[in-house]
Amino acid sequence: MRTKSRRAFLAVAGAAALAGCTDGLSGGSESAGEDGASGSEASTPTHGEEPPTSAGNNAQDGGGEQSSTGPGDVAMPLSESAVSLSYELPALSADAVSGGPPKDGIPSIDEPSFDDAAWGDENIDPADPVFGVTYNGVTKAYPQYILVFHEIVNDTFDGENLAVTYCPLTGSALGFERGDVEFGVSGRLVNSNLIMYDRATDSWWPQIHPVNPDGELQGQKLSEVRVTWTTWERWRDTHPETNVLTEDTGSVRRYGSDPYGAYNPRGGYYEQDGTLFGPRHESDEFHAKEVFLGARTIDGKVAFNKDTLRQERLLETTVGETPYLAAHHEALDSAWVYRNTEEASVTAVTDGYEGPDGAVHAADELPLESVNAFDVFWFSWYGFYPETEVVA
Amino acid sequence: MSGNTPTRARLRAIPAAARRQLRNVGRVSFGLFRRRDSRVVFAVVTVVYLGTYLYAITDIAIDTSAGFSYSMPVADPLARMFEPGPGQFSYEAIAFIELGVITWVFSPLNTALGLGIATLVGVNLAVTYLAVTQPAACGIGAGSGVLASLPALLAGGACCGPVVAIALGIQMGGVLLTVYSWLLPASVVLLLSSLVYVSQKVDPTAV
Repeated sequence: MRTKSRRAFLAVAGAAALAGCTDGLSGGSESAGEDGASGSEASTPTHGEEPPTSAGNNAQDGGGEQSSTGPGDVAMPLSESAVSLSYELPALSADAVSGGPPKDGIPSIDEPSFDDAAWGDENIDPADPVFGVTYNGVTKAYPQYILVFHEIVNDTFDGENLAVTYCPLTGSALGFERGDVEFGVSGRLVNSNLIMYDRATDSWWPQIHPVNPDGELQGQKLSEVRVTWTTWERWRDTHPETNVLTEDTGSVRRYGSDPYGAYNPRGGYYEQDGTLFGPRHESDEFHAKEVFLGARTIDGKVAFNKDTLRQERLLETTVGETPYLAAHHEALDSAWVYRNTEEASVTAVTDGYEGPDGAVHAADELPLESVNAFDVFWFSWYGFYPETEVVA
Repeated sequence: MSGNTPTRARLRAIPAAARRQLRNVGRVSFGLFRRRDSRVVFAVVTVVYLGTYLYAITDIAIDTSAGFSYSMPVADPLARMFEPGPGQFSYEAIAFIELGVITWVFSPLNTALGLGIATLVGVNLAVTYLAVTQPAACGIGAGSGVLASLPALLAGGACCGPVVAIALGIQMGGVLLTVYSWLLPASVVLLLSSLVYVSQKVDPTAV
């Protein structure tokens, strides 16, 4: 886990190659590391003194103008993306379409309000989805029924600023370190996925591939934080001390009435095989809304089928030439993905996973190199990463 | 040159014809308020349409567990009410109101927009009512104003516009998005055109 002081030190020292080297190696559930591969790549944290007063207008003009801001001017942690694409990066900007609402027509939550688990028990159905984050010693749950109306929460975890984001159309929830910068909803989509904009440079950041596709920040990537998609009951049982985002969002919305469908049980858009917007790449190998745990690293991209994970508990594959594994966390019905460079032996046992050290570990605590993974609908993952490895 | 004279005369006559049409629309529209039956038609249609419009854009909903309450959780309602909302031609709500079995996410501008369109629909239908009940009226269907008002009902969308597409299970292409964004202004134009047309069918001296 990185701290602001550490980032500032690194920026001053220019010790870019050192950054990220200690990230996520513990396999814990906090910072997800660069490009999802903890400690696997060099990064260039950038942490300027003041946000620029004027910059590119990606979010205003559809990406036509170039940002006049360099990475060093932006008060948020960025790094050079090491995840390759099978197409040119600016295509993500060229492919962007209007989702209907104008910029900020879907209002981010900028002053979130939280209550304790008792509030959650009173207001959230046990089987309703929530997005859980543990960071900087703070544990929070973000109910899907609230985030579906806002998509971005500009939050703070004991002094560290994070953006917790959710895209309803692609079924993906990701967290990002945001430094002193707030994020908003641009109103544009790529592969149906939310394109965020930052309120310092107005640059675009697609949520699933959080790399600026054009402008002066082109190729720069946001620093990810693990977000766990689970249910309220599972999160509360695992983290009874959790805080819960409340409906006091500063906006008036019909919370509880999801405009797209339902998750408890699944219905509407979330179970239809069709999509609202055509993705860049299409595959009918799976149902469009089949849920996968996706991870992309310097080695490549990999998607583990969530249903298969539930059944098998432990899935292994090779990405590029590097072994990877995914371990299912039964209590949370989620999974953690590890880069297993040493080809260490891991076995699923009754109460966890027996690691190379002979000890039994929880799925989120294996002594391997953890990489960020998140739930995502198949169609959108494939739309971004058609060359993905698939384990199903 | 002489062949152009009738054309010029016709062109010069357009403003005069338009003024005549507007006067006629005005006379008929205000005239309908002099008759009780047409007043009732106007009031009922306007209220029903406004309710349907607000329901279509999900500003109001039926909730049998609702009671009576009012809350305004927005910090600066006067500024917030002018901010764009999630749908085309929708604006931010500033209050949550419970009215028995109805819950209302109250947006002043959405309500004003809805009321404007509902008034146009109400006048259309009331004038149509006059036309079909006048003995001399002919060639007019009671549904003309209703058809013109349909696009506005589709125009709101609940969140992110393409909710209608979700309901229909279709994909939003660029053309469909463009069509969608023009539904409400198109509806207003259609309603005004319809009103002019229907007004021609009514004898203004009889209202």
